[in-house]
Amino acid sequence: MNCEEATRLMDGYLDGELDPITSQTIEQHLRECDKCDQAYKAHALLIRSISDKTPYYKAPAGLRERIQSSLLEEIAERSPRSVSREISSLFRSKQSERRAIPFGTQWNWLALAAAIVLAAIIAFNLVPRLQRPGADQLLATQLIASHVRSLMANHLTDVASSDQHTVKPWLDTKLDFAPVVADLSSDGFPLVGGRLDYLDNRPVAALVYQRRKHFINLFVWPAESGSTGADKRITRQGYQLLHWVDSDFNYWAVSDVSDNDLQVFKQVFEKQVPHR
Amino acid sequence: MAAPLKAEYPSESEDFDLSAKIVKFVPLKNEEQGAAQEQELASFEALMLPHLDAAQNLAKWLLRNEQDAQDVVQEAYLRALKSFGGFHGSNGRAWLLTIVRNTSYTLMKKNRAVDLTTTFDEERHATDYESVNPAALLEQTEDAELVREAMDHLPAEFREILVLRHLEGLSYKEIADIAQIPPGTVMSRLARARGKLKECLAARIGKEK
Repeated sequence: MNCEEATRLMDGYLDGELDPITSQTIEQHLRECDKCDQAYKAHALLIRSISDKTPYYKAPAGLRERIQSSLLEEIAERSPRSVSREISSLFRSKQSERRAIPFGTQWNWLALAAAIVLAAIIAFNLVPRLQRPGADQLLATQLIASHVRSLMANHLTDVASSDQHTVKPWLDTKLDFAPVVADLSSDGFPLVGGRLDYLDNRPVAALVYQRRKHFINLFVWPAESGSTGADKRITRQGYQLLHWVDSDFNYWAVSDVSDNDLQVFKQVFEKQVPHR
Repeated sequence: MAAPLKAEYPSESEDFDLSAKIVKFVPLKNEEQGAAQEQELASFEALMLPHLDAAQNLAKWLLRNEQDAQDVVQEAYLRALKSFGGFHGSNGRAWLLTIVRNTSYTLMKKNRAVDLTTTFDEERHATDYESVNPAALLEQTEDAELVREAMDHLPAEFREILVLRHLEGLSYKEIADIAQIPPGTVMSRLARARGKLKECLAARIGKEK
């Protein structure tokens, strides 16, 4: 082996990426050639120093959570599209087969299919809403996604005001219900503003409150008549969700404040809301 | 939540036949599929989130900008989830880093980053400092800023290969896969990258003296 070759293979040799025979040949050459041996030692030192001294950029706090919530959103968005695509392609293939079938048979078959589909629809709709397991979980996913998005994209509020008499009329004009808006700054939860959102297949009001450096999104929409129920508490991905119902409205509070803070928030909110 | 149903009207007027009278009702969310997807997400996160630091590190070194790096990492995770069905290997880190790298280059091209090709000013970093061995000096210094500046002066293909080798300790084979170059090229590119970094460091150390 000559010096030129040894120099060319030096990096592979130092990285332990050469086959054993070539490595031995290099070792042999280094023993014989002082100049190459010097170069080898200097290069080994350089390689070690680069590894030691190059800064490693770790992921900043919060990036993991942001990624997780965007992944969750991606999964949640994906299902309706893919299901309907699969099923409609199923239907399409049947349709093309059907063209060959004589007219009369086709009609009967379609009538039967329609009857089955109709029965399925009725059965689906008879299943009571909240008894379906996972309904709360699905809503929780939507709530967290909405909360995270509101903090991410400079879109915390549509109407930024700490004045309940500004926020409430604004929301009233945009919605088909009139949510209760209370300023709770005297209790340590100043009102930041309000926003429109879309959850559970309906437009909802999002009231934004602040607790120290943290934000609380309070989602409000009308309750179904006569619905009551115990409070629900869900903890997910480090977010706290608290749900309660009064005679008029459904409330979901979402935040990264502690569970205790959220309970206090609910109490002071209810204190401000006139009982009906 | 009630099972939401969406009506689809299959045929347009053009080939109107009786099937147009059939309205299909398609369930929008199916519990079973939801569970399968939750499971997929869980296994995706278990395999990919441990490499978040590696992803951030590569993106930050390539883009040299914290915000761009975070955006790229987030985008890369989304892309990875979309093609997760195609991941059958065991090397989650290399697979994720390939996506991070490609996403970074897409953004760099969009931003018309000038350093995509190796246009390195050979003359300016010429041999004046050849006698200086920066490694010896480097060993003494606690100055991470020095290495960072020198690295940031290198073209992207050099930064990338140095990060993959020195900070991630990846093999030549893995580096070839991620950087999409022939395995035979890894050693020579790494040698050139180290040589250039050495020159940059020598120039800086020489200047400081």
